[in-house]
Amino acid sequence: MTYVSMTVNGRTASAEVEDRVLLVHFLRNHLRLTGTHVGCDTSQCGACVVHVDGKAIKSCTTLAVQMNGASVTTIEGLANGGELHPVQSAFREHHGLQCGFCTPGMIMTAVEMIERAKRDGRTLDENTIRHGLDGNICRCTGYHNIVRAIEAAASQMI
Amino acid sequence: MRKNSGLGASLRRYEDDRLIVGAGSFGDDLNLPGQAYAVMVRSPYAHARIISIKIEAALAQSGILAVLTAADYVADGLKPVPLRPITVSPPDIPAVNADGSPIFIPPCYPLALDRARYVGEGVAWVVGESIELCKSAAELVEVEYEELKAVSDSRAALDSTTALLWDDLKSNVVLDGRAGSAAAVDEAFQRARHVVRLDALIPRQTGAPMEPRTAAASYDPVAGKVTLYAGGGSVTRPRGDLMHMLNLSNEQVRVVARDVGGNFGTKNYTFPEFALSAWAAMKLGRPVKWNCERIESFLSDFHGRDLAVEAELALDETGKFLALRSTNLSNLGAYPFSFIPLLKGTELMSSLYDIPAASARTMAVCTNTPPTAPLRSAGRPEAMFVMERLIDLAAKKCGFDRLELRRRNLIPRANLPYNNPYGMEYDSGDYPGVFEIAVELADMAGFPERKAESESRGLKRGIGFGNYIESASGAPHERAIVTVHPEGKISVIIGTLSAGQGHDTSFRQVVVEFLGVSPDAVEIRTGDTDVATVGGGSHSGRSMRHATTTIAKASSEIITRGTRLAALLLQLPEHQISFHDGKFSSPAANRSIDLFELARVALEQREIPEDLRGVLQATADVHSTVSSFPFGSHVSEVEVDIETGAVTVARYAAVDDVGRAVNPMTVDGQTHGGIAMGIGEALMEKCVYSETGELLSASFMDYAMPRASDLPSFTTHISEVPSTTHPHGLRGGSEGGVTPTLAVVCNAVLDALAEFDIDHIELPLTPDHVWQAIASRSSR
Amino acid sequence: MYSITYHRASSVEEAASLLTSFEEGKFIAGGQTLIPTMKLRIAAPSHLVDLRHIETLKGITVEKSMVTIGAMTTHAEVAGSVELHSVCPSLCALAGGIGDPAVRYMGTIGGSVANNDPAADYPAAMMALGASIVTNRRTIVADDFFKGLFETALDDTEIIAAIRFKPPVRGAYAKFPSPASRFAMTGVFVAQADDGIVRVGVTGAGLSGVFRQTGFEQALTNDWSQAALDNVSVDESMMLSDIHANATYRVNLVKVMAKRAVAAASGMRK
Repeated sequence: MTYVSMTVNGRTASAEVEDRVLLVHFLRNHLRLTGTHVGCDTSQCGACVVHVDGKAIKSCTTLAVQMNGASVTTIEGLANGGELHPVQSAFREHHGLQCGFCTPGMIMTAVEMIERAKRDGRTLDENTIRHGLDGNICRCTGYHNIVRAIEAAASQMI
Repeated sequence: MRKNSGLGASLRRYEDDRLIVGAGSFGDDLNLPGQAYAVMVRSPYAHARIISIKIEAALAQSGILAVLTAADYVADGLKPVPLRPITVSPPDIPAVNADGSPIFIPPCYPLALDRARYVGEGVAWVVGESIELCKSAAELVEVEYEELKAVSDSRAALDSTTALLWDDLKSNVVLDGRAGSAAAVDEAFQRARHVVRLDALIPRQTGAPMEPRTAAASYDPVAGKVTLYAGGGSVTRPRGDLMHMLNLSNEQVRVVARDVGGNFGTKNYTFPEFALSAWAAMKLGRPVKWNCERIESFLSDFHGRDLAVEAELALDETGKFLALRSTNLSNLGAYPFSFIPLLKGTELMSSLYDIPAASARTMAVCTNTPPTAPLRSAGRPEAMFVMERLIDLAAKKCGFDRLELRRRNLIPRANLPYNNPYGMEYDSGDYPGVFEIAVELADMAGFPERKAESESRGLKRGIGFGNYIESASGAPHERAIVTVHPEGKISVIIGTLSAGQGHDTSFRQVVVEFLGVSPDAVEIRTGDTDVATVGGGSHSGRSMRHATTTIAKASSEIITRGTRLAALLLQLPEHQISFHDGKFSSPAANRSIDLFELARVALEQREIPEDLRGVLQATADVHSTVSSFPFGSHVSEVEVDIETGAVTVARYAAVDDVGRAVNPMTVDGQTHGGIAMGIGEALMEKCVYSETGELLSASFMDYAMPRASDLPSFTTHISEVPSTTHPHGLRGGSEGGVTPTLAVVCNAVLDALAEFDIDHIELPLTPDHVWQAIASRSSR
Repeated sequence: MYSITYHRASSVEEAASLLTSFEEGKFIAGGQTLIPTMKLRIAAPSHLVDLRHIETLKGITVEKSMVTIGAMTTHAEVAGSVELHSVCPSLCALAGGIGDPAVRYMGTIGGSVANNDPAADYPAAMMALGASIVTNRRTIVADDFFKGLFETALDDTEIIAAIRFKPPVRGAYAKFPSPASRFAMTGVFVAQADDGIVRVGVTGAGLSGVFRQTGFEQALTNDWSQAALDNVSVDESMMLSDIHANATYRVNLVKVMAKRAVAAASGMRK
């Protein structure tokens, strides 16, 4: 057991957890932040993507204890009070979700993809966006509208 | 208001509000106070007698509350899950054995009773304080198996000496029926100028929704009521099944489904874990929660497709289709849950072409694999694949142009309604019309240049076409209860269940259309048998069709009653009152009363006739036994790297007729998702079993799911020729996208490889399959 | 997964010492392979020693004739290294094709090399670059390091500190990914050193894991061209067969990917 403490969505979150607890389960079960989802067991589907110290990583493939002391942002921490993040708005505007299960991970991946491009001084073309989603599987949308949403958000953010 | 948010509006979705901020309520998000957890012990053998199950070591582990087996289940007097493969929706062809013998339906217990019949079949149910404790205890459950011969391939299973699943059946063939007219077909083949043949296995595919299956159950001993929380395609069906299995009455079972993370048919049955969670909750007096892990879902979800077809098409010298005959062999898996994939496909084998004679032998066999069940457009992608491949083969082998061959045989608009040779009556449609739109979208004129450009990058480019028709049927009965609340809300209770189709929004649009209110004022309530006690669920493209008819009917009753009351209140004759945009008014007299105010009056005032007093509400039941036939035409271009066999879909255009699009944005979304699933089936997806039933594709590491970088952007075009079998012209739009895709992509690949003169490539068209096909032709 | 006790090391010495004090301990680098195998209950260590916070294991140093990559450098860092790209862009490209963006933020070169997955990308590069694996005890050349499927020359408590290699004059990695896993169905790294010697590392295809295709090496050393490989055969009996690709097809892929690597490397200056 380890007493883990990390910043989650801007607030300190601490708990005594078994060392084997995955970060995703720490978020879902200990902090009741159920927006981050588990969709597979081979680290491929991306439903569990969160931001840790600014990087989009798979929270199902890391232990909570590994992230002791880190700064984590989940889907619940993206909106600013009542104001949606541009990527969230774009997903709604462009019908980038259907069942919504892959959506939190998809949005977190997209946000970081756009922020990284902005930092690097790049724009995002369709091919880059599609490859940037290699770690996110969606079964409902065929990705078409997800790509449109990301293009739209990127044009706003970059 | 109606113009902007009624039928035909691309209204942005209400359900997105919670889903984009991570506030959805999916199965695993539910936590019940005091809950225990459950883990299933599954058979590692495809076919084995269960000699004994020793649970003592597992049960002795700290934190383990129960280890249950089929023997315990039977000892409690509980029953198998009802199998109803013979039940088909009325317009679909029936399941009947040609020799008149009854169809064998074996018992299916939630835990294997004396034999495990597929790898992954549940044999013990471990309940404990945490999932990890249950997993560790599960490893201590000692099952003694006696391995038996096993078979996974449907064709191999025809020979019962390879393996026999059901001793009482004496063979593995559960269904051997006939459709169409063999005599007419034989005669047509006699006089045919050309005959082309196709022999194919359309692979087993799994729906793999991103949310795996879940179940949670709680028991209220005071009320004597068990509540099952399980996402699926319906709440009423599992409720009925649980009542039967657990010997409970209507009032003793409640089923609730909240947000469902994708379905595609994969979640449409009453799974063993539903009954086991409910039973365990009742026994232990604590809620029991179970989550399917992804590897487990590959082992235990019901799969789709897996059809072996031998088909022949007869043509005359002008290319007119004379007859089609086929043998369609469906792999049921270990238990016969459904003949729908077999029969809904067979009945549409002739597609939207005018074929005077057809016959089919419809067979279904059991094998040592998980059961198969309807998966998105069950049976139709298989049928369209056969027809569209036969047409391209006929064009190639008999010297016809493949577009002209289609034009010559498409059923003309004027010939509808049309009876196809299997007995299906197509309602209405413009098949040549959508085909010409697809051809135009194909930009054939630009193809040579695109082909040359692909060539300059070392790639072969091909273009493929595929037309389709499919049948939206499903459970005939649906009910909507529409209530007008004085506080300005209209609630609709209906028995369908969305898993991403956007019903919360599109159903509101129907209310807006017929009652003229703002969509913000509408609340759609589904997914709770205590609320929506009656209904058929969502499958087979039925939801939008039934929602429209029931809500329209209920609205009409509300308007009728409201008009009478308004006439009274406004002191005008009824014929002077009209209802428009949420108001009852008489323009002439310049008096009006709005719907919500009217509802308040009806509730509160005493001085109105009894039959107009009370809640302003209508219950509409609809019973529909006719099908609306969605149809369309798709075209695609692919690039093939002949050195590696890799196929890339470069372009994809879809023309889909949904009769009437309630929300074009969500219709397009459904089409996109269907196309992606079809491309997956064509190029990469297959549930791979060894000959003796070992699952070799048990995770996303081996079962390839299309990613964004595997797919292009799509061009979609919605066609709206109203259906004449639906009061509002709707056909259904969620299954069309996947229906022709397998055919279209295969046709495109074979066109790209035309110089190699390949007739057929083993499905799916993985790089190694494509390369092998090229290599075997090149060496000649 | 089974119960574990987690330890965070702040130095290599501490890490090695921690591992020796426990039975059934394992190092965890990025965890992108270890955590999934633990979740499936295939790997069952009782103790994990986390290497992620050891600063001396991180970073890329590019000197005139030697590149040193710290073992805990992530794939994303290798892929995005401007310095590395100026001397060995082929390795940057390889790293950028591992897994997916999220995996690349955590997965490390040391972890990948120590694991020696038969379909991983880095082992092919190590072989082709003639890299040295520097541990906390010794330096092992790639040829001696990779022993077989998931097997390396590392002792149980040995820690990879860095990968060291001399940048090739020209080189490239051509990978044919498996559609499902995105691991290499076949990946070929071709590199030519400044003495003209060509080395060819192949991953994803061999029954015994990563191997050097010596027939290709000789042909390309004599004649750096795609055509030079035309008549060189690949031993089918050494090829892996699985549900995605049989041995015959892999023979084809090895040659096709090798040729594409040569084409990509041709005309490249370092």
